[in-house]
Amino acid sequence: MATIKFEQVSKSFGDNTIIKNVDLTIQDGSFTVLVGPSGCGKTTLLRMIAGIGPQSSGRILIDGKDVTEMPPGQRGVAMVFQNYAIYPTMSVAENIEFGLKNNKVPKEERQSIVQEVAKKVGLEQLLHRQPSTLSGGQRQRVALARAMSKNPKVFLMDEPLSNLDAKLRTAMRVELIELHKKLKTTFVYVTHDQVEAMSMADTIILMNEGKIMQEASPEEIYRNPENLFTARFIGSPAMNTVEIAGEGTIGFRPEAVMLEKAGQPDMFAIKGRVSTREMLGKEILYSVKDSRENTYMVSMPSEEDKGCRVNDEVYLNVPAERLYFFDREGYRIGPRQNWLSDFLCRG
Amino acid sequence: MGEKTNRWWNYFGYAAKLLVVFIFVFPFLWMFSVSLQNNDEITAIPITLIPSIPQWGNYVEAFTSGPFLQYLGNSVIIIVSIIVIQMAVMIPAAYGFAKYEFKGKNFLFGLVMLAFMTPVQLTFLPIYNMMSKAGLMDTLLPQILPSMTNAFGIFLLRQYFMQIPDELIESAKLDHAGSLKIILKLMLPMSKPALTSIILFSFVGHWNDYFWPLVMTASEKVRPLTIGVSMLKNTEGASSWNLIMAGNMILVLPILIVYCFCSKYIVSSFTYSGIK
Amino acid sequence: MKDGKKWIPYLLVAPAMAGIALFVIYPMVNLVYMSFFKVNQMNPDKNKFVLFDNYTKMFRTSAFQKAMVNTGYYALFSVVIILALALLLSVWLAGRRTKFHSFVQGCAFLPHVISMVSIGLIFQQMMDPDFGIFNAILNALGLPALSWLRSSDTAVGSIVFVNVWKSVGYYTLILIAAIQSIPESIYEAAALDNAGKLKVFFKITLPMISPQIFFVLIVLSIGSFKIFDLISIMTAGGPNNASTSLVYYIYANVFQDFDVGRAAAAGVVLLGLVGVMTVLYFVGLAKKVHYQ
Repeated sequence: MATIKFEQVSKSFGDNTIIKNVDLTIQDGSFTVLVGPSGCGKTTLLRMIAGIGPQSSGRILIDGKDVTEMPPGQRGVAMVFQNYAIYPTMSVAENIEFGLKNNKVPKEERQSIVQEVAKKVGLEQLLHRQPSTLSGGQRQRVALARAMSKNPKVFLMDEPLSNLDAKLRTAMRVELIELHKKLKTTFVYVTHDQVEAMSMADTIILMNEGKIMQEASPEEIYRNPENLFTARFIGSPAMNTVEIAGEGTIGFRPEAVMLEKAGQPDMFAIKGRVSTREMLGKEILYSVKDSRENTYMVSMPSEEDKGCRVNDEVYLNVPAERLYFFDREGYRIGPRQNWLSDFLCRG
Repeated sequence: MGEKTNRWWNYFGYAAKLLVVFIFVFPFLWMFSVSLQNNDEITAIPITLIPSIPQWGNYVEAFTSGPFLQYLGNSVIIIVSIIVIQMAVMIPAAYGFAKYEFKGKNFLFGLVMLAFMTPVQLTFLPIYNMMSKAGLMDTLLPQILPSMTNAFGIFLLRQYFMQIPDELIESAKLDHAGSLKIILKLMLPMSKPALTSIILFSFVGHWNDYFWPLVMTASEKVRPLTIGVSMLKNTEGASSWNLIMAGNMILVLPILIVYCFCSKYIVSSFTYSGIK
Repeated sequence: MKDGKKWIPYLLVAPAMAGIALFVIYPMVNLVYMSFFKVNQMNPDKNKFVLFDNYTKMFRTSAFQKAMVNTGYYALFSVVIILALALLLSVWLAGRRTKFHSFVQGCAFLPHVISMVSIGLIFQQMMDPDFGIFNAILNALGLPALSWLRSSDTAVGSIVFVNVWKSVGYYTLILIAAIQSIPESIYEAAALDNAGKLKVFFKITLPMISPQIFFVLIVLSIGSFKIFDLISIMTAGGPNNASTSLVYYIYANVFQDFDVGRAAAAGVVLLGLVGVMTVLYFVGLAKKVHYQ
């Protein structure tokens, strides 16, 4: 059980500043996902918690205790690496046992812990195998078991699912969520995939260029993005945006659009031409181009589809309450009626 | 560990590394120093570290004490011939082993590996007999012909060729390119790093070679530089270390110059031969 | 690849295979064959088949016994010292990849590309008991002077010393390359597992570079079994045969004693030694664990 606190933490490599003055609290027992484009500093943040890439300045506290001078092995954290970092010359059991041995856990206790965690992740039959004989999914489980064996206060995971195929990934996602429920410890999970973040997190921390863009629950971050970056990054397909010259940006989600042959009165409307139509089963995905060659994505539930075809002339109708407004710096602001004058269709 | 002890450790490590550099470079500096000392300085006690007046004449004297131009010429002819012949033999063989399936391929490649592992100390005696019977001992051929197959080169080049996708060769064939054209225009340009490594490896190895020319040469006419320099000791007597070192410099300098410019290539070619 | 003409690959490898047949296979067979004969170099018709006579007589000569014992010494000391030093240096130097580090490595490697002739001559001069720098250094340190190559007590040790100096950089570089190929995340995982420095070395670094250590062991052994150049240049086997080796014994039998049959028999002994190491090497290679 541990709360992790960052106080004015920065990290630079030479002249290159990766993390700039981050203040952050990761709640005890939460499943926190650090998400953002590659190079945004999310892995750097994770490695600072582990102590394998210490911060340049600022303090990190675990459970209120400053861990800056504490070596990684004594912080009570465990980490699952992207490439699993399994010791190739040790058997599965030895891999799990290694940390316990170093912490001078007595032999009998060690063996019972190994048995217990192996059972939890379904490795009982493989304990004597060498890592080179295991599949990707099995290695992933070894890495997980190794982390669990130490009964850490914090679980750190660095894109642990990115090396698995799509099917296994979905299954492992569910397993990790269940594991978190069972263990009730703090999970800090890094991914570049917003879908993964949305599906697993109870708190999402979205990062960009070493700064935290927004910290909120998945619902909140989807419904109420605080800035343009968050709005564009979260959600798939991404939010459509229209720039209002000199003023700011209007945004609307693909699923907020009603795609129709005519403009609806008093709605925000854009006239365009269908350029592609993708039937995805429960939903249909359109891309529409307006007269200035801007492309907008529209997602419609199949049953509500009006049967538009490629090259049809269509209107994108969006109810005013589903529009997002951002100022020139990209910060979210309240509705601006005057921005809409060019887009309102008066019947 | 505190900041201060850490810093002292750093200084200590730096000094220790400089000591390593010194240990491996000093003998060469020493050779240079001795090569410039006069006859009194080489037998002086205490020993002379730096000659009072550099005796550049030692180099002229060493060079004219024997047919060194001939030795140097022999070395160059031998090495150029070996590299040319090795290329002509090695490239088709590597291509054959990399891109064709044929009966007995594994057996034949096993023989290549066997040749790779066989030291010349095992083969010199029968080859010596073979060459004398053929009446070739007065020529450079006994120093050239036995090196015609570069087993390490075949091995390394084959690895490179195997990485070139078959589709590329197929599409070249569809463009009506013959095997020769495929090798010259496709395979070789894509294997430049391997070829550079192999050539440097061959050059360094044969320039430095001592055992083979020692047993394969009976007359001055065919001796390479290594043998010429090693014989300085016998002809000049033990006291002329300055002349011996001057001759030695002539042997070391070309390699030293090549090493300074392509140390990266040389190091990687040597370590590659060690890792794979 | 499929090709209509089946003879093409044979044509491609033919010159290489001819070279191997003529200059590797035939000589080795011929060497074994000659070892059963009393060879007359002047008149090959007078070669006499003597079966194991060359061997039995050779085993009884003190020169051969001395050569074998010395070869054992050369191999044992060279392998142990070079391997230990290379391990130490590589662990020490593999950590950082700065320009200074590659310069240090480049310097350590330098002797490996220089001719044994040059190195033998340089060290013979430095080891001169009267005017050499080694004794001058010992003297300055208040230590007794050594006779180095001139004494039968120290000749073998001196040659091992030069051999170590020449080769250690090469093997260090091989081990550095091996260590640097270990993924950084393995070490980070070990740090999170609270493993100390010694434990990391013995449980992670050492097992993970064991294939390369094995390779170094074999190559070093084979190299030591054929030690010749330094002996020929620095001591000519002396003083009083004290520094001779198996290959030097072969050489002397061919070019000084003109007993080719006995030289061939000694050659077969070398073949056996090298053969055992080669077989070990390939067995090890086949067993080598392919990590990841």
